[in-house]
Amino acid sequence: MTVATQAGGGGHVDRGGGGGSSGLADVVELILDKGLVIDIFVRVSLVGIEILTIDARVVVASVDTFLRFAEATNRLDLYGKGKGGKDLTELTQGMMEGGAKGKTAGVLDAAVDKVGELLGGDEEDEREPVRKRPRQRARERERER
Amino acid sequence: MTATYVYGLVAAGTTLPEDLVGLGPSGRVSLVEHDGVAAIVGDVPDRPLGTRDDLTAHEAVVDTVAAATTVLPMRFPAVVEDSQVIDELLAPHQDRFLRALEQLDGMVQYSLKGRYVEEVLLKEIVEEEPAVAELQERIRGVSEDASYYDRVKLGEIVAKAMEERRDVDANDILDRISPFAEQASPTTPPQPDEVVDIAFLVRRDGVEQFESEVEELGADTHEWLRLRLLGPLAPYDFVPAEE
Repeated sequence: MTVATQAGGGGHVDRGGGGGSSGLADVVELILDKGLVIDIFVRVSLVGIEILTIDARVVVASVDTFLRFAEATNRLDLYGKGKGGKDLTELTQGMMEGGAKGKTAGVLDAAVDKVGELLGGDEEDEREPVRKRPRQRARERERER
Repeated sequence: MTATYVYGLVAAGTTLPEDLVGLGPSGRVSLVEHDGVAAIVGDVPDRPLGTRDDLTAHEAVVDTVAAATTVLPMRFPAVVEDSQVIDELLAPHQDRFLRALEQLDGMVQYSLKGRYVEEVLLKEIVEEEPAVAELQERIRGVSEDASYYDRVKLGEIVAKAMEERRDVDANDILDRISPFAEQASPTTPPQPDEVVDIAFLVRRDGVEQFESEVEELGADTHEWLRLRLLGPLAPYDFVPAEE
């Protein structure tokens, strides 16, 4: 039914759905939550639905989510500091996986800071905004017209 | 009692696509018509329903038919007694079904979902939220146990910052795509990095333009947003509620 990549487009949007090509989570969301219900329908016994529904709906923001974000943010910080930081990051991660957590990471992180300073690497000013928001884009296009 | 599975409703006189495979043992799917309305029906397996295959079969039947004609989709699972398809389903609700089919005539649904590219958003948040950098400084070099509460707090601030950005971005996306749809039904997704989950009701003759607008939005935002478009689908989110 629907093709995976868009004809004519750059293929920046994942496509799915329509006639069985959706993922199970999408299907569950569509057919268990929505659609017509008539009170005369016979009660049928169901298997597995409850489990499926729980699987499909991710639990709302929790401590786990926060910790995940915190970890991702801290990892990102290492990337952000200075050039050549990648090797150190990899090294750090290897060590963290090896069980030497916390302290070692901190020391290495400080080292990355130093490298950053030595390279004079504070590029914040010249960095272009990564995000072009939809509305900005729309306005830009209007101006172009 | 023999039971009949009901996938959805269409206008009488509809021709079903040939390649439909139902969830019953025969796999057959057919129509039962009554006074302008038809039920898309099939047989029911002799076991409880709800396997993965049952769910995908239901969706595939409904949405394959929806690709060509307007379908009122039934919520899974819909089973009636064989003899009662007309007497209990079609006849008593004929009015309501006809009106809904008419309202949705010539339209399909698309569901648009979007998720942030985490790294890009986190970078933006670290740069724009001073509290994040402060906490990172405090966590640095401290053992995992000792920094637990600071890490939770950091994550909470990040999640909140992401939600604030998402509210803005979700509105922008809605504003930008809505002009190409008849109706839009947005829901707020459960996770902060999930930006949008919007159902759009689109005229069949406007489908191409709608899809290319979404594609253009995707091209403009792909560096920080992963968009997923499902459809064309039956109008799941736009079935009129019972009066």
